[in-house]
Amino acid sequence: MSSRRGSFLSTKLHCSSCLPCPLYFEKFKPSEKLQEHGTERLDARHLDSPLRLKAAVHYTVGCLCEEVALDKEMQFSKQTIAAISELTFRQCENFAKDLEMFARHAKRTTINTEDVKLLARRSNSLLKYITDKSEEIAQINLERKAQKKKKSEGGGKNSREPAEAGVVESEN
Amino acid sequence: MEGAGAGAGFRKELVSRLLHLHFKDDKTKVSGDVLQLMAELLKIFVVEAAVRGVRQAQAEDAPRVDVDQLEKVLPQLVGERGSWRQWRCPAGWP
Repeated sequence: MSSRRGSFLSTKLHCSSCLPCPLYFEKFKPSEKLQEHGTERLDARHLDSPLRLKAAVHYTVGCLCEEVALDKEMQFSKQTIAAISELTFRQCENFAKDLEMFARHAKRTTINTEDVKLLARRSNSLLKYITDKSEEIAQINLERKAQKKKKSEGGGKNSREPAEAGVVESEN
Repeated sequence: MEGAGAGAGFRKELVSRLLHLHFKDDKTKVSGDVLQLMAELLKIFVVEAAVRGVRQAQAEDAPRVDVDQLEKVLPQLVGERGSWRQWRCPAGWP
């Protein structure tokens, strides 16, 4: 995975249309937490500017396209990646406004998964995919909560012993 | 290593900032589940555009996916009332 990302960075994206200089991507390395890097520039606060958001979108789009390129054995031109990234950025505006309107229509200030499903209503297969995903996410989050509860109760170790004993017996 | 978690994707922080950039009301909030779901949706959007671009390039016997190919597939993907109508999961792509 890291080598794939490394190769993407080394292409030095340099589309003339909307991007800042390629050096930006040298700094903007992938990380789970934005605060990982020491430089102030990568502080989460600085992601507020639309330009930086665009750059972040561009990076993710590039990674995704690279995966498709590997899978389908077909390369993308830099301009194509830039175009898809611009498109995605613009689509976010539509999504955000729609989501806000759906929530407001339901007299809520917090957008929930039902609003997202409304977004996906136009295609049956997309709607099904999103519905399944939302159930999967809800399930994972439930399990995480349950795990956290177990840890805090400290009952984890006790429940394991009988299972291990069972394994030893079956091996004999 | 199923498609669901593996590979690149949009980070929750990024999705959150992207959405909040366009909200009209300051009070509008987004739940964590929604951020994960929207990250999926955006990923589908990007992958769909990419895969359709590939199909177009293959149909034209083009050596790679250029903007010329992308332009031809964009209208179905984005514009007009029928956006997403023809979306279906490309074979082998979860």
